[in-house]
Amino acid sequence: MTIYDKNLATSHDDILEKIAEALDIPPSKFEEARNRYHAIGNWLDRPESEIAQFNPAISPQGSFLLGTVTRPFTDAEEYDVDLICRLEATKADFTQKGLKEAVGREVALYAEAHGMADPDEGRRCWTLNYAAGAQFHMDILPALPDAQRYQGVLLEKGFRALASDTGLTGQAIAITDNTHPHYELASTNWPLSNPSGYAAWFRNRMKVRLDEAKLAFAKRAHISASVDQIPDHKVKTPLQRAIQLLKRHRDCMFVGDCEFRPISIIITTLAAHAYNEEPTIAGALQSILTSMDHHFEYHDGIAWVANPVNPSENFADKWVGVPKKRENFVKWLEQARRDFGLYLRASKFDEMPTELRKNLGEDFVDRMMKAATPASALGMPAVSASAASADDLRRAERAIHQIHQTGSQSKPWAKA
Amino acid sequence: MLSLDAVKAAIAFDQPKLSARLDGANILIEGSYLVVEGAPAAASGPITEFAIRMEVNPRYPHLEPKVFEVESRIPRNPDRHINGDGDCCVTVWEHWLATSADHSIASFLNGPLNEYFLGQFWFEKTGKWPFGERPHGAPGMEEAYADALGIANRRDVLIYHLRLLSQAWPKGHWACPCGSGKIIRHCHRKDLMGLHSRIPPHIAKKMLRRLMAN
Ligand SMILES: [Zn+2]
Repeated sequence: MTIYDKNLATSHDDILEKIAEALDIPPSKFEEARNRYHAIGNWLDRPESEIAQFNPAISPQGSFLLGTVTRPFTDAEEYDVDLICRLEATKADFTQKGLKEAVGREVALYAEAHGMADPDEGRRCWTLNYAAGAQFHMDILPALPDAQRYQGVLLEKGFRALASDTGLTGQAIAITDNTHPHYELASTNWPLSNPSGYAAWFRNRMKVRLDEAKLAFAKRAHISASVDQIPDHKVKTPLQRAIQLLKRHRDCMFVGDCEFRPISIIITTLAAHAYNEEPTIAGALQSILTSMDHHFEYHDGIAWVANPVNPSENFADKWVGVPKKRENFVKWLEQARRDFGLYLRASKFDEMPTELRKNLGEDFVDRMMKAATPASALGMPAVSASAASADDLRRAERAIHQIHQTGSQSKPWAKA
Repeated sequence: MLSLDAVKAAIAFDQPKLSARLDGANILIEGSYLVVEGAPAAASGPITEFAIRMEVNPRYPHLEPKVFEVESRIPRNPDRHINGDGDCCVTVWEHWLATSADHSIASFLNGPLNEYFLGQFWFEKTGKWPFGERPHGAPGMEEAYADALGIANRRDVLIYHLRLLSQAWPKGHWACPCGSGKIIRHCHRKDLMGLHSRIPPHIAKKMLRRLMAN
């Protein structure tokens, strides 16, 4: 007797979903990270805080906000949680240095009060390191709201529609950079950034599937909530899953060569452009892998991956000086096409080809496959040849039917 | 001009068991062509595979690609729509150019080539062609052209239409091909303009040239 288990995979998508789920930050870790950054937010806003008067608020940015986190390649590495610390202040209240150090002092007090090491200073961020067991660190980016200047710069450069789109540019911020010429000066010339706008753009690229996934989530959980009441992080779309898989593939392929590997923001941006709300991970991967390179722009012959919320920023700006980075992107895309193509197009769902297994992490994939495919099937005698042939015929019949539905394009002929 | 990189990009995901390289002036594609139920993936894997070699001229789609089945799985018999050297008669090329909007190499691989090999598999099993077949030689070509134009399959009618369509602008003072005796301008002008925009002159010329050579 065969017992069908809901947890057993029956398609390529089931397997890919399970692998991507395992790559994701576990829900408990996610909650832990959220609790910790809320705690930092509360600390910065406590009455004794020297920046409390500016209502500091901590919010996530980057893959944590986009829902495309992938687990560190080895257990020794950490999740890196990118945060914005936004003060309701103006450039009249601070120099860049003043803001950076005011936030730094409070973060240092937080670290001291919790028995942690002093935060490390980066060019733009403070990095807060937790004890080894936590498996993550937080990069805290001090910032001020600066939508007006951001929109002004866009207007100057001719991006009129974007400049007036408050959904995409209304949350833009000014940030600090300790290598900036005006770092220590009272000046309105601060570096600009717009991580919330990018996230809003990204979300728009998968809106249909996001809402659909939330409806399904509400139904599963028997809650009557509207789509807007369910937080984004409760669900995943095929686009997010595909990006997690592609980032993992990149991590494995360039395991000894992190410096020159394709960066996540390029993969994420091109993938989101190429995605057309495909309902499956396999469909998303097909669309993304076959057409992500059509979304390069070329400015004077230079490959350009425009920041969708600030098109004059090129995410691939390093490629000009370091051609190896560009070569590695091309190499990676070729390999990813073939690896995922061989699995999705040329293999049964429960037989992952060696190359893809290797490039997603062999042991990791084998564990997933073992858990997701029926153990009994492995030991079962092979299906008889005549049954297999009858099955092929049924599948061919369905394929023919599909072509009749969409309209056959050709009939065979003979020249002579 | 079709580049090797474009061909590689077109086959890498959809047909990962094919590989492409330059061979003189041509782009050579070799390996196993997969016939898959549905896109992108089928849980039980491909229905079947055919060993093929494909010669693609960089002037594709202006020039028709040549496809060979290389393991003699398909008996070399014109009734199987294959020539003695394994040259596969996939389709009447100009018919596909005239009736499909996307002439990319990926579209050819996923369209006519998929139908051809799925059809071969179906014929092996059932002795029938699932999408029909064309008569051999000139009659099949004429039938395909008439289908593409949507007109009666008569050689003289076909040739007259193709002469009209080969012009940059159909001549209004020519006799209407419907046989009414009126000139086009006062008869089926609208229909012919529609046909002209669907079958561009360069394709009509190719059809006419090939038809006259037979
Ligand atoms: Zn007429």
